[in-house]
Amino acid sequence: MTCDHPSRLLALYVIICATTRASYIGQGARDFEKKVSMLLEQEPENPKCFAQGRKDFTCFWADDEERAGSVDQYAFMYTYQNENSSRCPLRELRVPGGKRLFVCHLNQTQMFVQMDIQINWEGRLIHNRSLLIELTFLLDPPANVTVSRTGHQGQLNVTWVPPPLKYMDDSMMYEVSYAAEDSQVGQVQVAWASSMLILRGLLPGTKYKVRVRVKLDGISYSGYWSAWSDPVFVETPPAELDPLIVSLTVIISLILLVLSLMMLLSHRRFLMNKIWPAIPIPDSKFQGLFTVYDGNFQEWLGHTNGSLWLRPTYFYSEECPSPLEVLSELHLCTSLPSPPLPPKASRALSLGRKDDTKTGLEAREPLERGDSTQSDNWLMDRLRALHQHPIPCSQSSLLESQDTYITLSKNNHGEDKHSNDPLEETLPLEVLFTSRKTVLSESHSDLGSGSGHLSSQSSFEYPNHAGTSKGPGYTYMAVADSGVSMDYSPMSRLDDIGRVAIYAHDYKNEIPVHRGPFLQRQHSLHGDC
Amino acid sequence: MGNRRTYVPNGVDSVRGFVDTAMEFPRLLALLLIVLEWTLPVLPSPLRPICDLRVLDHFIKEARDAEVAMKACREGCSLSESATVPQTRVDFDVWEKQNSSQQADEVQSGLWLLQQALNLLRTSVTNTALHSHIDTSIRNLLSISGVLRSLNIQEYTPPASAADVEGTWRVSTATELLQVHVNFLRGKVRLLLMDAQACQQDVS
Repeated sequence: MTCDHPSRLLALYVIICATTRASYIGQGARDFEKKVSMLLEQEPENPKCFAQGRKDFTCFWADDEERAGSVDQYAFMYTYQNENSSRCPLRELRVPGGKRLFVCHLNQTQMFVQMDIQINWEGRLIHNRSLLIELTFLLDPPANVTVSRTGHQGQLNVTWVPPPLKYMDDSMMYEVSYAAEDSQVGQVQVAWASSMLILRGLLPGTKYKVRVRVKLDGISYSGYWSAWSDPVFVETPPAELDPLIVSLTVIISLILLVLSLMMLLSHRRFLMNKIWPAIPIPDSKFQGLFTVYDGNFQEWLGHTNGSLWLRPTYFYSEECPSPLEVLSELHLCTSLPSPPLPPKASRALSLGRKDDTKTGLEAREPLERGDSTQSDNWLMDRLRALHQHPIPCSQSSLLESQDTYITLSKNNHGEDKHSNDPLEETLPLEVLFTSRKTVLSESHSDLGSGSGHLSSQSSFEYPNHAGTSKGPGYTYMAVADSGVSMDYSPMSRLDDIGRVAIYAHDYKNEIPVHRGPFLQRQHSLHGDC
Repeated sequence: MGNRRTYVPNGVDSVRGFVDTAMEFPRLLALLLIVLEWTLPVLPSPLRPICDLRVLDHFIKEARDAEVAMKACREGCSLSESATVPQTRVDFDVWEKQNSSQQADEVQSGLWLLQQALNLLRTSVTNTALHSHIDTSIRNLLSISGVLRSLNIQEYTPPASAADVEGTWRVSTATELLQVHVNFLRGKVRLLLMDAQACQQDVS
């Protein structure tokens, strides 16, 4: 028994060694076969030779079908520069595919010298080649290819172990091929004399296949590309939001928001006017209407005698307005005989009298040129009478007796060529009403609306006479071209000290201002006919 | 005369001014330095070792270009006489057994031989296009000698004639000469530079 154990152990040991060696040889053989098949494709010359290391050198060629000779019939002769020829022993090799190869293997080589190879078959030269051994390197692919993630997005770190060749580490160049798993097109990057490479610009969250191959750089040594190493599959880290970009985006959007808010606030009035334009209210024209009387017009009317109120009516724009004449403020007693009004004027007046509030008045009609002449004459007479007999009258007068007609003529800029306008402008109304010692002030205010031809209007402010009795109201009429017109209606003078404003819109009219012998303030309303 | 403030005619005792006495010491010092400069041998400053092999790779590329140009030459590019060139073969077993001084000696002698041969080629070749290549090669050989010097490899004292050198070949064509030139640079010179002690210390 004791003798059996060592022998059994020995047998076991031998078997293990043999299997491992066989596997190595098998691997070596497979590598060799791979190289051979690669050279068969790439190298056109015969014999195909390659060196695997500093001392290793292999040459082979495929058997020609025609010859079909045996290995003994071939002679492989090689000659170094300035040396004698030597013969290399051949061996036969069968490769998958049915080919027969003849292989010459040298264990000792001389580099940096020219080598001439001659292959003879049956004494005849069949192949001839001259080469330098250090230029025929065909190495094994790099081993231990590892791919790892770097800390950055879209990057992978590839490392490998270079082939163990002394003196040649710095002469090696590597090619790294990487492709996404599902795509057919791959990319290649070259590394020179280093054993690591960082791949950049990769897609996040993708699986990549990475391979490496090696070759000598061709300056001092040269050769063929090695076979690709076994592929390594690695997934790139998934896409993540760069915190820097996110924070920058947030900050910039906040800044923009703040800036826009500031702009809005600084221009809010302007923007509000644009978006939500304020509805104009006539509050400024009706003093106290909205504030005191809460919009109650009747009350306001009752309390503000003699104040002008306006009511928009629609006007025929084609109509030519006729001028109104303000002759005077006549405080006439009803006792004074008054000539009958010109028919049309009276009609107009009565019309105006009738309506208290809102009726459109075609006030222009009766005031045509001819009528105005007529009424002028009538008015002149009245005025003459007035001046002769200035009798205050407290009664509220009828229109007929207390007719004061305001002829308003006001020029547009440059349109009216009447030269009397400036004269009229300069005529103060005090001249007309000297007896009354009323101070008339003229104010111009602009109602300008609608057509552009409306320029200014003249307004008369009649301060109420303190202590005077109710004076006669006076009729007046202002006509505007814009569709906003004013009715005239009899208004009685105010007891209180109110201001009466007369507004007249200016509408173009070619009716010339009628000049009378009296100092009349004539303001004709001009409007576009 | 120059430093005197007042002109005194010759023969009259000169009155030495203040400036003259003050300048005496600097003058003596300057004279002393000049004399010392001449007499003392110039100490060479230690060279920085050139360990980057890309320099040699550049020379190799230029030598390859010269070889290619010579192969393409048809006339006016022959060697007038055969030249002695170093052997370029490298057997790694043999090479590794040699010590560094033997290797250096081999390289240095080879470089010297190549210099002689290239000079001969320069005079032999009449094709002007090749002159620039040959001149570049000669310049590069001198640069390589400088590189070797920077690596503290001892100077090579050339023998009396090329025949005295061991391990040489004879070439008779310009193409062969330039081929040997390229192979020598790629082989022995590069191996020597790679193994240089001065560079090894830097690496470690």
